[in-house]
Amino acid sequence: MEFWTGGGLSSRSRVMPGSLLGGYDAYVRDAVEAEALGFDAYGAAEHHFMYDSFMPIPLQALAAAAAATSRIKLQTGAMLQPLYDPIEAAEYAATLDVISNGRASLGLGMGYRPLEFDGLATSKKTRGARLVEAIQVISLATSRDEFSYEGRHYRYDRARLSPTPVQRPIPIWFCGGTSIAGATRAGKAGIPYWIANSTYERTKLMTGEYRRIGREAGWPESQLKVAAFKDVCIGATIPEAEAQRQYLLDAFYDEHILGYGYLVDDQGNHLYNLSKDHPIYRRFVDSIFCGTLDMVIEELKRYEDLGIDAVYMGGDRRFLAEKILPEFRRN
Amino acid sequence: MRVGLSWEFDQSRPPADAWAAVMAEIEAADALGYDSAWVHESRGDAASCPAPAIFLTAAARRANNLLLRITGRTVNHCHPVRLAEEVAVLDLYSRGRAGVAFAAAARQGVPEDHLHETIEFVQAAWSLAEFRYRGEHLRFPAHTPAEAPPGISEPPPAEDYLPQWEWGPATPDFLAITPKPFNPRPPVFIEITGEGTLAWAARHGISPFIPAEVPHERALALLATYRQRLAAAGRSPAEVEPVLERWIHPGAPGDSLILGGSTRDLVVRLRAARVRAGVSHLVWRRTPAQTGRRDQLSQFQSEVQLLLMA
Repeated sequence: MEFWTGGGLSSRSRVMPGSLLGGYDAYVRDAVEAEALGFDAYGAAEHHFMYDSFMPIPLQALAAAAAATSRIKLQTGAMLQPLYDPIEAAEYAATLDVISNGRASLGLGMGYRPLEFDGLATSKKTRGARLVEAIQVISLATSRDEFSYEGRHYRYDRARLSPTPVQRPIPIWFCGGTSIAGATRAGKAGIPYWIANSTYERTKLMTGEYRRIGREAGWPESQLKVAAFKDVCIGATIPEAEAQRQYLLDAFYDEHILGYGYLVDDQGNHLYNLSKDHPIYRRFVDSIFCGTLDMVIEELKRYEDLGIDAVYMGGDRRFLAEKILPEFRRN
Repeated sequence: MRVGLSWEFDQSRPPADAWAAVMAEIEAADALGYDSAWVHESRGDAASCPAPAIFLTAAARRANNLLLRITGRTVNHCHPVRLAEEVAVLDLYSRGRAGVAFAAAARQGVPEDHLHETIEFVQAAWSLAEFRYRGEHLRFPAHTPAEAPPGISEPPPAEDYLPQWEWGPATPDFLAITPKPFNPRPPVFIEITGEGTLAWAARHGISPFIPAEVPHERALALLATYRQRLAAAGRSPAEVEPVLERWIHPGAPGDSLILGGSTRDLVVRLRAARVRAGVSHLVWRRTPAQTGRRDQLSQFQSEVQLLLMA
C-alpha cells in the first residue's frame, strides 16, 4: 500500500495566522521532507475565490515542489476538472510531467461550490458526465501522438498534445467523494477511484461496489485501483485523539465542510450550514479515525487487507513516517 | 538597459532533455547577473511549452534573482480568471518577479477588443476586492446581467455583510479573485507586430514587447511610434518598459532579423535602439544551438552588457 501526503496551500487559517508567502514556501519545504521521509506522493488541491487565498492551480504548486524534489510523485487531489477544458488540463499536466521527468499524477474531482462554477463560467449540472469524458480525453491525449474523441460534451478530431509527456499516459484517479454515484461513474469507465474521508465500513462498501461495477463493465482487475483519503488522529488515549480531531474540525474542516455544500444527502442534494448534530455531519466527523497508535495501525491494516492501493494522510508527517510507514514496508 | 533571455526549445531532443537544458541556462543566467527569463507559450511540437507559468514556477525555485516573464500568452486557451491566477501564483512563488506579455491579437486570431478586455480584467483581478466585469467577450461572474454597467463595476456600499462561508448556494454578483500577487501590479506587456494595438497600448500605459520575428528597423520604427503615441496620451516614458527581443549572434554576421558583429557593433546598435526607440529591456532569443553555451552568456555579460551601461 502506498502512502500519500500533502501540504497546506492557504493562509489566514483561523487558529494559525501566517503569511501567504510563508505558507507557499512551507508547501515546498514539506514536499522535500515528504520525499526524504519515504512518502510515495505529495498532493495539492484546488479552490477558487477563497477569502483565505487557497491555491487555485494545483499543478502550478506542484511545479514549485518538482523543482525541489527528484523522486516523489506529484499528485493533484482534487483538481476540479470540470472547471478546465480537457486539453488545457492535459497541457498543464504534461508540462508538469516534463518538468518533473515523469512524476505527475492527476486526482480529478467534480467540484461542488456554486461560486466556482459561476466564476469560471461553466455548468455545474453537467460536471459528472464532463469529468468522465475529460478523463478519457486526457488519457488519450497523454498516451497517443494524435487522437480523436467523440463525446456528448467534448469532441476532438486528430488533435495533438504539446508537450509530449514523459509518462504515457499520465496516471489519473477519479476523486469520487463518498457517493455511490461517484463509485458507479468511476467503475463503469474503469478509472482508478479515490474515495474521500469515510469510515472503514463505508470504504468497504464503496470499494466493493466500484470493483463489482468495474468488473461487470469488463475492465481488468489490475485497472480497478482504489485510493482513500484517510485523516487519522492519534493520541495516547482515545479522548486525547478525539481532542485532536475537535481541533482539526474547529481549525479547518467545519468551515469547509459546513459552509460550501460539500456534504450531500442520499438524494445527492448539497447541504449548507448544517447544525453540528445533523447525522450527515456526524457521519463526516466519524470518518476521521481516532485512536492510539496501535489502533490506527490496525485500522490501516484493514484498509490494506481490503486491497486499497494507496492512502492519503495529512497530519504530522514525521510521526507517520517513523511510527506507521515501517509497519507496512517490512516485506 | 536590462538584458534577459528567451528560448526556442530544441525539438530534436526528448522534451525532458530540451527543457532541462533551458532550466540549466536559467540557473546560469541567474548566477551571471542577467535580469530576466522569458518563456514563450507554444504548441504544435513535442517540446513546445503551452503553459509557461507552470515552467516558470519551477524556475522560480531554481533562480533567485531573475524577473520571470510569461510571453506570447494567448487569451483563448483558458478562462481569464485562470490567467490572473497563474500570474499571481507565479508572482507569489517568485516573491514579486512575475510578468506577462500577451500575444498580439492578430497572431491569436481574436478581435483586438477581446485582448484589451482580458488585460483590463486581469489587472482588476490583481488589484480589486469584489468586482464584476461586463464586456463584449467576457462576463464575470458568468451570471452578470446585460444591463450591468460596461467594464468593471464594484458592489454598492453596504452596512452589513455575510462571511463567505455563510453564502450557501447563492452565487454572488461580485467576486474577488484570489490569491493576490505579491507585487500589487505585475507588469503587463503586449506583443506589437503592427500599428493595430500600438495606439491602444500607449493610451493605456501597457508596455510593448517586440518579438524577434519583427525585422530590426521595423521594430525600432514601431517603438518610436509607440513613444510618440505615449506622449500624445499624456504619459511619461518612465511609466512603461519597452522590450525588444532579438536573435543575437555575437562575432558572426547579422542581417535584418539577427543582430551580429563584434562587441563594439552590438553595443553601438543596442545603444542606438535605446536612444531612437526607448528600448529599456533587451531579450536575447537563444537558439537551440546557443542554449547551454555558458561561455557565450558570460562573455556577452562581461562585454556587451557592461558597455551598454557604461
